[in-house]
Amino acid sequence: MKELTIGSDAPGERIFVLGNEAIARGAIEAGVQVATAYPGTPSSEILENLAGVAKEIDMYVEWSTNEKTAFEGALGASICGVRAMASMKHVGLNVAHDPLMTASHIRAKGGLVVVVADDPWAWSSQNEQDSRYVALQGFIPVLEPSSLQEAKDMTADAFRLSEEFGQLFMVRSVTRIGHGRSDIVLGEISRERRKGSFKKDPGLLVYVPRTARINKPLMLERFERIKKAVNTMAYNKLQMAGKARLGIIACGLSYSYTMEAVKWLGLEDEVSILKIGTPNPLPEELIIKLLKSVKEILVVEELDPFVELHVKAIAGEHNIGVKVHGKDVVSQLGELSTRKVTEAIAKLTKSKLPVDFAELDKLEQEAAPLLPLRPPALCPGCPHRASFRAITTAAQRVAKDYGEDVEPIYPSDIGCYTLALNPPLHAVDTTVCMGGSFGLANGMARVVEAPIIAHLGDSTFFHAGIPPLINAVYNKANITMVVLDNSATAMTGFQPHPGTGYTATGDETATLRAEDVARACGVKFVEVIDPFDLKAATETVEKAMRFQGPAVLVFRGLCTMIELRDKKKAGEKIVPYHVDQDKCDPKCDACIKLLGCPAIIKQGDKAVIDAALCTGCSICAQVCPYKAIIKE
Amino acid sequence: MVREFNILITGVGGQGVILMSELLGKAAIVDGLSVRGSEILGMAVRGGSVTSIIRVGEDVYGPLIPAGKCDIVIGLEPSEALRNASYLSKSGLVILNTVPIIPFTVSLGRSSYPTLEQVVEKLNSIASKIIKLDAAQIAQEAGSLLAANVVMLGALLGTELLPLKVATINERIQARFAAKVAPVNIKAFDLGYQVCQQAVK
Repeated sequence: MKELTIGSDAPGERIFVLGNEAIARGAIEAGVQVATAYPGTPSSEILENLAGVAKEIDMYVEWSTNEKTAFEGALGASICGVRAMASMKHVGLNVAHDPLMTASHIRAKGGLVVVVADDPWAWSSQNEQDSRYVALQGFIPVLEPSSLQEAKDMTADAFRLSEEFGQLFMVRSVTRIGHGRSDIVLGEISRERRKGSFKKDPGLLVYVPRTARINKPLMLERFERIKKAVNTMAYNKLQMAGKARLGIIACGLSYSYTMEAVKWLGLEDEVSILKIGTPNPLPEELIIKLLKSVKEILVVEELDPFVELHVKAIAGEHNIGVKVHGKDVVSQLGELSTRKVTEAIAKLTKSKLPVDFAELDKLEQEAAPLLPLRPPALCPGCPHRASFRAITTAAQRVAKDYGEDVEPIYPSDIGCYTLALNPPLHAVDTTVCMGGSFGLANGMARVVEAPIIAHLGDSTFFHAGIPPLINAVYNKANITMVVLDNSATAMTGFQPHPGTGYTATGDETATLRAEDVARACGVKFVEVIDPFDLKAATETVEKAMRFQGPAVLVFRGLCTMIELRDKKKAGEKIVPYHVDQDKCDPKCDACIKLLGCPAIIKQGDKAVIDAALCTGCSICAQVCPYKAIIKE
Repeated sequence: MVREFNILITGVGGQGVILMSELLGKAAIVDGLSVRGSEILGMAVRGGSVTSIIRVGEDVYGPLIPAGKCDIVIGLEPSEALRNASYLSKSGLVILNTVPIIPFTVSLGRSSYPTLEQVVEKLNSIASKIIKLDAAQIAQEAGSLLAANVVMLGALLGTELLPLKVATINERIQARFAAKVAPVNIKAFDLGYQVCQQAVK
């Protein structure tokens, strides 16, 4: 029996999927012809899964250089009449913000959908911003699923709605949707493939001031129509209880926690629930009906009080005397859970908690001091560890020229290398956004007397590193800019990018080199470095940092995970290093203290290399002052 | 009909936590169950804490197990089982692989690792029962250290608390692994199943 996949033409069948596969399936069912994205947790698997079936289902799928380009690509295809989707994480939406705000003015021809994955608790992100505010600002209607089935259904439906109302739509996912797992029932796949055509229409497509003035009222009209329509959409559902003491308005995934909490408390007959699947615009008629039926309301939503503020405004506007609770009893921080919602409902209804949570908290507090720290770390053999050893050694030397207690500054960026924040590498001083390392360095260079060496990864370089590099050249910033080139977007799952030589669908293409870009931008000091030659690397870094004017260094070493995978495929053996205990000074610990490699552990007072983890990268052998680390 | 059954699988990156939940989830839908779940990998590719949740039953909506409602915690690593202990219900069961994986932070002197006795004592203060096994040794016996996660899967089925057919899981194992290693994994599953059955008796 052939395994069913998200590309299978098998309507009515059930399959077990990751949430991002469900979203990808929705796009397939809608007959999307162009799908674009830049990788970002927790959204990456959407495009990855589409890329896997792209050729078989006749869909154009690309990893774009950044989210702005991804969204513009989708918009361009939509203008030409085909269905198009761009997917990204919440902070990626910031990068796409510029075209997004004007795109909503354009009456959509081909269905246009942006899928955005928010990350409550910032599991894999620099913040936990709430994308619904972006949608509010841009008059972009939002569908927000409460389950994986709905994630699939809403994604598919968003394209139909986009065409019906002529408006750009957003599907808002969160980590527990995208990285949730569930069974879903497959729907029909649309086989319609339209031929794109461009019709000149400057009054709609050329945004000189007049065009904005013409199209804004039209956009507002479209939004008004959608505002009426959401009251009867099945994604919003009002369940009135017979003797309701409390009304709950639950948005997206929060609905699932709410349903479990109400059942857990045994309050099914005493709580009316309004499920919200369209937070922007909200179903006002349903909200008013619920508000009028109870004395107290609880709004349950993850992150910020988006629905809550609107509900309070509606209550005020319609003079409904109802107390609206929300963030006063449900946390604004992090993810929600059935427990958090249960506690909030119990408080408002004065119900007994079903479980003694305090006892569980006590257990957790007692266990905490026993638990070892297990933070994410650079992998054994990671070229970044070697690069950071060279960077920090050279930077410390150069800093001495500025004064005895001057510390070098290490602006960093978004990627695996951010892990060098932790001891013992200590090579990350700032992390703000994609490309922010070079950007921040530009400003620091104006005001501090200290050497500045900024670093970002290869994928990040192509995404947002080039404009601040050009800025450094143009404005003559005396900084060193490092590209840690491991030939992959490693943190998000090794996706290809403009420097890898192949596309999302595995086709060969041009390979762009960061050093060529830097030279073309006018950087006068550009060197490519082998991270695993520690001595030469350190000398080159020192030279670059002493160079007057902007310098660029490219540390080139393939991501270890990819290298190991390739070696395994080729049947190549990995020869690990080991410690010659006769030569090792047990008091030294240089290998452990300088590198923090997970493969080097202390057994008693001995340093020992775990042969199962060691990749044979050699960097510990290079830092050992006793030459006690040798290859087997 | 199953109303709600919650399983939390926890371990360290590289131990095959996610694979276990995939096998379970796919088997569950073959046996007609509704499945919900979620996973947290954090930023770790290798070596970080990994937790995966599988929930079956008609009353299950959300992707997370409510604190105090977990029926079975499967700990592929002792300290990781302890880290998730507060999910357990009073009638909850722990299946514990006793083989520790000591993180590099211990070598760096930044943290310490508990003894197995400490882990078991704390888990005992909440769990109704702990089934301990050396999954590495059993996996070795089956033919490969890599099959330790499948040993633990066998142990889970061995509790006979799960409304899943052994035959269905076996089919999933056959389908998931290459023909060369499938028999080792089937054996690992069987051995885990037997060890658990003896422990339950």
